[in-house]
Amino acid sequence: MITVKNLHKSFGDVHVLTGIDEHISPGEVVVIIGPSGSGKSTFLRCLNLLEQPTDGEIYVDNELITSPKVDVNKVRQKMGMVFQQFNLFPHLTIMENITLAPVKLKKMTKEEAIKKGEELLERVGLAEKANAYPAQLSGGQKQRVAIARALAMQPEIMLFDEPTSALDPEMVGEVLDVMKELAKSGMTMVVVTHEMGFAREVGTRLLFMDQGIIMEQGKPEDVFSNPQNERTQAFLSKVL
Amino acid sequence: MLWWDGIVATFIKCFLKDDRYLLLLDGIGVTIKISLLAVLIGIAIGLVIAFCALSKKKVLNLIGKVYTDVIRGTPSVTQLMIIYFVVFATVDLEKWVIAAIAFGINSGAYVSEIIRAGILSIDKGQTEAGRSLGLNAMQTMVSIIIPQAVKNIFPALCNEFIVLVKETAIVGYIGLVDIQKAGDLIKSATFEAFMPLIATAIIYFVLIKTLTLALARVEKALRKSDNR
Repeated sequence: MITVKNLHKSFGDVHVLTGIDEHISPGEVVVIIGPSGSGKSTFLRCLNLLEQPTDGEIYVDNELITSPKVDVNKVRQKMGMVFQQFNLFPHLTIMENITLAPVKLKKMTKEEAIKKGEELLERVGLAEKANAYPAQLSGGQKQRVAIARALAMQPEIMLFDEPTSALDPEMVGEVLDVMKELAKSGMTMVVVTHEMGFAREVGTRLLFMDQGIIMEQGKPEDVFSNPQNERTQAFLSKVL
Repeated sequence: MLWWDGIVATFIKCFLKDDRYLLLLDGIGVTIKISLLAVLIGIAIGLVIAFCALSKKKVLNLIGKVYTDVIRGTPSVTQLMIIYFVVFATVDLEKWVIAAIAFGINSGAYVSEIIRAGILSIDKGQTEAGRSLGLNAMQTMVSIIIPQAVKNIFPALCNEFIVLVKETAIVGYIGLVDIQKAGDLIKSATFEAFMPLIATAIIYFVLIKTLTLALARVEKALRKSDNR
């Protein structure tokens, strides 16, 4: 579904990604962990071209999306993204947040989008908030809306960039529950997170990133219980 | 009550004799006409110049910078006179329209700076969220960034409009009779300074107060989504 070949990304003189090769298959829940500054978020943001890779190739559904000829907007419609800071549109109601893109991009009529929106809000447990504004929601509620908003485009892949890192601890669970349910439904997911419990429980594969490359990967339980790489061991000993 | 009779006599001389109040009434019309058209032109130019200034293209960027520099660096009276006596010297347009164009060009420079600041004030995450959903740059700008920017810059824009209305008081320089010029004409005709000038001030004040109240209502509507 996604194939990454020799991905490099630099910001000026700083080489954040130094050669990543990776393949993500449909239905996988790939969890990316690693110390801050290791390039996890940059890697994720390269996947939907929010960051333009400096070098390397990314294929989504066998389409080379790093080619200049590709319609970036079309590619992004296949990939939902959830941000650490939610990034809900504060001037729109919750329902408008969800229906904006599908209607604007002519994926659905307004009526269809609202129906879909109600369905999604039901799914994330916020049906009664349709007409509220983001400022009236708690952090956890905002993030659940953000997930619903991304799902409204009916993406094939969902990218999560530290979705619970900006939340108060008591709100982390409600967001992770939504993500677990999503994983169970068969959605292909790539999740950058510090939630090791989630990684172990929901992840089908764990990537440990450091210094701009994938240092180690495998089944979450294997990596957690028996890390091979020295850096993985050092990192896990600090966070577990 | 001699002093009272005096006041009444002056009032009659200033405003009622020879229907002088009509001068002021017409003046209000001229001021409003010029201001309204100038505001619209100012916003249009302001938008274009703001996008030039924000553009990554060097040429556009330079155009934006030079425009703002030149307009801010010269007095509006000078600009008005250059536009009327030089640029539009041979063009057959109504005077008030030319005046409105001049003030629009002037206001555009200030409006562009306000708009630019407003767009820059919106968090980058908003653009990213829009783009990540598949919206293109233009759709993101129009549906997500500009509506939020408008809310943020609205008070500053209102301020600019109020300044603009008052700036129009110099159109007498090109022979238009607005509120200010009407007051001035009455002053010259009657040799009375106090009443015509105070009347001029009161009319401007009422106009601008009305404008302020109207704009405050709009702002309140814009702030709806801030309620918690």
